[in-house]
Amino acid sequence: MTPSERERLRIRVPLLGTSAAAWIMLILWAEGPTVPVVCSPSIGSFPTLDAFGFALALNPPDALLTAWALMLAAMMGPTLLPPLRHVRGRTFSRRRLRATLAFVGGYATVWLVAGPALAAMTLALLLGARDAALPAGVALAWAWQSSPAKRRCLNGCHAMPHLAAFGTAADLDVLRFGLRQGGWCVGSCWALMLVCLLVPGGHIAAMAVVAIWAFLERLERPATPRWRPCPSVRPALIAAALARSHLGPLLRASSAK
Amino acid sequence: MTFVRRNVWQLGGDWSDPVLWYARGVAALKSRPLDDATSWRFYGAIHGIDPGLWRRLGYLLPSDRIPGAPVTSRFWQQCQHGSWYFLPWHRGYVLSFEALVRDAVMKAGGPEDWALPYWNYFKPNESALPPAFASPNWPDGQGDNPLFVAQRYGPYNDGNVHVPVAMINLNALGDPDFTGSGNGGSPGFGGIDTGFAHSGAVHGGVEAQPHDLVHGLVGGEDPATQLPGLMSDPDTAGLDPIFWLHHCNIDRLWEVWRQDRTHADPTDSRWIKGPASIGQRAFSMPLLGGKVWDYVPGDVRDIAKLGYRYDDLSPTIASTVLAQRVQRLGADVAPAGATQGGASVASDKDVELVGASTAPVPIVGSDIHTSVKLDAGVRSKVQSSLSAAPRVAKPDRVFLDLENVRGLSDATALQVYVGLPDGADPAAHPDRLAGSIALFGVRKASATGGEHAGSGLTFVLDISQVVDTLHLGHDLDVDQLGVRIVPVRPVPENAGISIGRISIVRQGG
Repeated sequence: MTPSERERLRIRVPLLGTSAAAWIMLILWAEGPTVPVVCSPSIGSFPTLDAFGFALALNPPDALLTAWALMLAAMMGPTLLPPLRHVRGRTFSRRRLRATLAFVGGYATVWLVAGPALAAMTLALLLGARDAALPAGVALAWAWQSSPAKRRCLNGCHAMPHLAAFGTAADLDVLRFGLRQGGWCVGSCWALMLVCLLVPGGHIAAMAVVAIWAFLERLERPATPRWRPCPSVRPALIAAALARSHLGPLLRASSAK
Repeated sequence: MTFVRRNVWQLGGDWSDPVLWYARGVAALKSRPLDDATSWRFYGAIHGIDPGLWRRLGYLLPSDRIPGAPVTSRFWQQCQHGSWYFLPWHRGYVLSFEALVRDAVMKAGGPEDWALPYWNYFKPNESALPPAFASPNWPDGQGDNPLFVAQRYGPYNDGNVHVPVAMINLNALGDPDFTGSGNGGSPGFGGIDTGFAHSGAVHGGVEAQPHDLVHGLVGGEDPATQLPGLMSDPDTAGLDPIFWLHHCNIDRLWEVWRQDRTHADPTDSRWIKGPASIGQRAFSMPLLGGKVWDYVPGDVRDIAKLGYRYDDLSPTIASTVLAQRVQRLGADVAPAGATQGGASVASDKDVELVGASTAPVPIVGSDIHTSVKLDAGVRSKVQSSLSAAPRVAKPDRVFLDLENVRGLSDATALQVYVGLPDGADPAAHPDRLAGSIALFGVRKASATGGEHAGSGLTFVLDISQVVDTLHLGHDLDVDQLGVRIVPVRPVPENAGISIGRISIVRQGG
């Protein structure tokens, strides 16, 4: 194991553990009597204002907030490995936990603010486009994923700024870093999340697909922002290569037995 | 046939046969158009290309046909920097180039065993640019010597192209590990573990020193226009014929490092199989006849299998550095095992911040004073480790990290001193020299819309021996440690050079 791999592992284990726990809670919650509106806005076969009022009545703000926070931890947790490694490496040992919490606080704040905005956009699409809401969302996501703005946001996720080491300045710097990372992350992923929210059923599966895609996107090298005829398929290629690399030896070993 | 790469200064005369044939080969490659994948400029673009910069320097003309996107995205902008792929990628690159030149040499009636020479600037009296590269004329006085490049300005931008040996060193050869930490500790001899990294943030040991320094010191920059010398910028470096002799020497140093039986290349499959194994770009070199060589680091580890060798693999690694450190710190006899590995200490797992500057440091002018504030608790830990060195044989390694170095001038080279007395002349205190760095690649690494999102580069200097000196002189028991940065050439404000943070890091058990 390389020193870098060892460092990654120190962060990956708690990060993936938290993410896995959040997934389990989401799955269990989805099987319960009430499904939070952020995860499944379509109640019944056709969404109306009344239906949304009903859904909101079933899902008070604290439940929505919890659901959104769980979604965030589950889906975005694994993407935080590089910035958390940066925070850890640039911080005194005794301040690492505090710095990590400040970073995560800043990052989560941006997503928690983005949540209602995405929910409003979902609602607007459902009410405005009705049956065409999902295709409209997919088209919007397609356009965003092909745009230079999306690439700029994705590149921004790779930015690792200098961080003060001492006192309040250190706290503020990691908080600011978290806010910025949150901003780039929302910019990069909002369209995919929107599609996730518009899917009428199987939203846990949709969330998983989006989470994996968002994770693989971060493994791409940053590239010059420009319009592309279609969204990058590089994440799919990365997934295929990783599968080949990791599963290939296992399959060969099992077939040799 | 095994090709033998030899020292360019010891081939016999300024225009020895191998150098003359190299010039003829280079001329043949230069005569080919840009869209010929075996042309001089195509190979330069494989390392890196900035069309705007190429145009301003006269290497990209309106009449040039640019190859299509499938070709450029496969071959151009490939060089690996700030990565554990730095050495293997460049080995394949140099090998492919050498084969193209050899073919051109043979077609011109030259020897079929022609091999690329190397430039070992460390040898006494061999630090000057080899004369055949410095003259605009062929040996017969004709004025179109293809080895000559006008855009080489040298360390002081006066056209005297040489490598001041005091600014370069072979300390990386003493690093016991090929790869290292990306978090402030030693990056290892060959660089940190990354994916495909055209412009990685942290340069490995041999990449930072002597590789980067030689690039910056040879290239310099045009004092009138501030455009970089070709060697100074990764996007133009491959256009200079001396580039290949420099990289031949870096490749040789990899072999030198491997001579120590305790040193080994990575065995991790991600290194052996290269970035394509994780879905990223493959290393691809165009060859003659439209062929393409896709290779991985595992293909290029053994130079015997690749069919070449070096005539000289000195210097041998100084394997006594750790023993000297421990002895200096108070032991009468070096503890058992201390001489293994040769670095200032064997590799250790824990990397921890000891102190940091409290504000970004702009680099302007010719003498920059700043300081690093130390954390008393962690500083004590370092001091305890140094005090215990005679008994435990594993003093902490200590590093000075220049983090988030940003700017526009790749030709900038800096000498960094630690703990100089107030008002002291840095040149009179070589024992306080933390190291020298050249900002090779900083322009690309600082572009906010580019690969790095503007984070810049990070340089890691091993200051263990300077810290030992401070410790023994009771100068380490301070809250702030002074840092002096002395640019090789004064840095103008419009170069935009700044260091985000300077930190001190310990690496130990």
